[in-house]
Amino acid sequence: MDATLPVQMVLGALLGLSVYLPLATGQLSLATPGFYVIGGYVAALLSTGVAALGGGEPSYPLPSLLLEMGLAALLAAAVAVVIGRPVLKLRGIYLAIATIALVEILRVLNLNLPFTGGAVGIFAIPQPFADPWGYLLLSALLLAAVCWLCARLGAMRLGRAQAAVRDDELAAACMGIDTAQVKLTAFVISAVIAALTGVISAHFLNTWNARQGSFDASITTLAFVVFGGSRTWVGPVLGGLVLTALPELLRPVGDLRLIVYGLVILAGPVVFPQGVITPERLQHWARHRPWRRPSPRAGA
Amino acid sequence: MDTLLQILFNGLSVGAVYALFALGYTLVFSVLGVINFAQGAVFTLGAYFTYLFIGGGVGSNGALAGLQLPFALPFWLALLLAGLAAALVSVGVEAVAFRPLRRRGAEPLLYLITSLGAGVILVNLIQILMGAEGYALPAGALGWLPVTITLAGASVRTVQVLLLLVAAVVVLALTWWLEGTRGGRALQAVAEDATTARLLGIDSDAMIRLSFAASGFLAGISGGLVGLSLSITGPYFGIGFGLKALGVLVLGGLGSVPGAVLAGLIVGLAEALVPGEWSGYKDAVAYAFLFAVLLLRPRGLLGRPLDTRV
Repeated sequence: MDATLPVQMVLGALLGLSVYLPLATGQLSLATPGFYVIGGYVAALLSTGVAALGGGEPSYPLPSLLLEMGLAALLAAAVAVVIGRPVLKLRGIYLAIATIALVEILRVLNLNLPFTGGAVGIFAIPQPFADPWGYLLLSALLLAAVCWLCARLGAMRLGRAQAAVRDDELAAACMGIDTAQVKLTAFVISAVIAALTGVISAHFLNTWNARQGSFDASITTLAFVVFGGSRTWVGPVLGGLVLTALPELLRPVGDLRLIVYGLVILAGPVVFPQGVITPERLQHWARHRPWRRPSPRAGA
Repeated sequence: MDTLLQILFNGLSVGAVYALFALGYTLVFSVLGVINFAQGAVFTLGAYFTYLFIGGGVGSNGALAGLQLPFALPFWLALLLAGLAAALVSVGVEAVAFRPLRRRGAEPLLYLITSLGAGVILVNLIQILMGAEGYALPAGALGWLPVTITLAGASVRTVQVLLLLVAAVVVLALTWWLEGTRGGRALQAVAEDATTARLLGIDSDAMIRLSFAASGFLAGISGGLVGLSLSITGPYFGIGFGLKALGVLVLGGLGSVPGAVLAGLIVGLAEALVPGEWSGYKDAVAYAFLFAVLLLRPRGLLGRPLDTRV
């Protein structure tokens, strides 16, 4: 069996969680594709440009891949802190527009900087795994780790502070929560997840270019969260898995598939205003056990 | 070699398009407080309608291959009709992407998604029907008007003058309608407070439809004019303009009509003044402005102060 589609689905779920974390703090940030692209370029530039990492060997060494992930995470976190401090003062639609602008500026930079390969991008990114199954294992491990973090957040100080800021920022500030810090932390974690996903994706796709992070990508990833539901972490995972698979599964429909995709994101919010997965629905399922596995963690 | 006057004219005519586009956003934003992301697709539709109405034929890649309308209208009439057709589509977008959510009192974030869904559907419909190829409006589309005219010693393309003139007329008409007529004031009342407006006997649903029709009309004619000025590069060509117009919108101040016009012209001029060796970075100018204004003056150049309600 070909594992290409499952890898794409898991990467989609990771991007969904990257959008979800700021949203769980009440911040609509569309910056995820920007950090995804940063991660991808870190991987592409290092693995094709630094010979010491082992790009010439038949199989790209795993430690080099992990090193790339570490560096990408650091870079994304640094950018997120620098950008996030001023941008997170904005609210609602202003924040959304500012993050769209960030993604677009990065896209223009990537098209024009001397070392990013222009419109063609970077080719022949070395492969650490012989087939998609290796990528599936790596990305599923990452997804499991992020899901575990999101599930733990509910019991942690940070997660509770996030919920408080989302429900009422002013009230949260009055209770002594450092709202700016909470928002920034969520933004940075979101950026790191996106960048790590970008690293895996660049190797997986074998090529990387500026088109990977476009406005379309911002909306697609947001659709994962809105469709799946933004009130639990299970929703974005489900949304990412399903909506990434959808265009592929619709391939037999040919040209109509993007129209069907458009219909899904048009009708989804009308039919499920809170997303398919809501906390109430999860509790209901947990109580009545429609399937044998009672816990919502099956999504991981 | 372009003279400074030509550069300024290029900038102003592109800026006029941004202004028209941003005005379309503004109309809907001031009434509903949301951004209609289907606007870019409606803009694209306006360009394609204009192309068809002046008698252009469909290329070989679309489902409508070989289609040509049995009539060829003069450009101004085609543009007007394309604007009206785009207005109709925009009202349709409101009916499927906005009204159902409004009925449920859904959060504004969801409008963003549904309007994008509508935009995706429209863009891909165009792609299926007309193919992904670009279309150029014929050079003779302007009829008896010359292709270039000479202004103060510089030769300027007529279509750019036309763009500026149409934008000026539309802005004046819109301002007159908003400030000087009953309908426009009713729209402003709904924008201020929909519930109170309803209590005063204003049909707020009709006003919302009207704002979508007007913004669709603006998008449609600006699409047609850009199609003539720069040619239609494919079904996605409205999206880039739409994103930059977001920057223009914020620069001018969300909801401000004069702000949108001023900001549009500023961004257009600034882009035109980017030196040739940096031209690749031109597309980032609008966003750089946007960042600067968000950090220095979040309400925009002419916007109202942001209020924080407790």
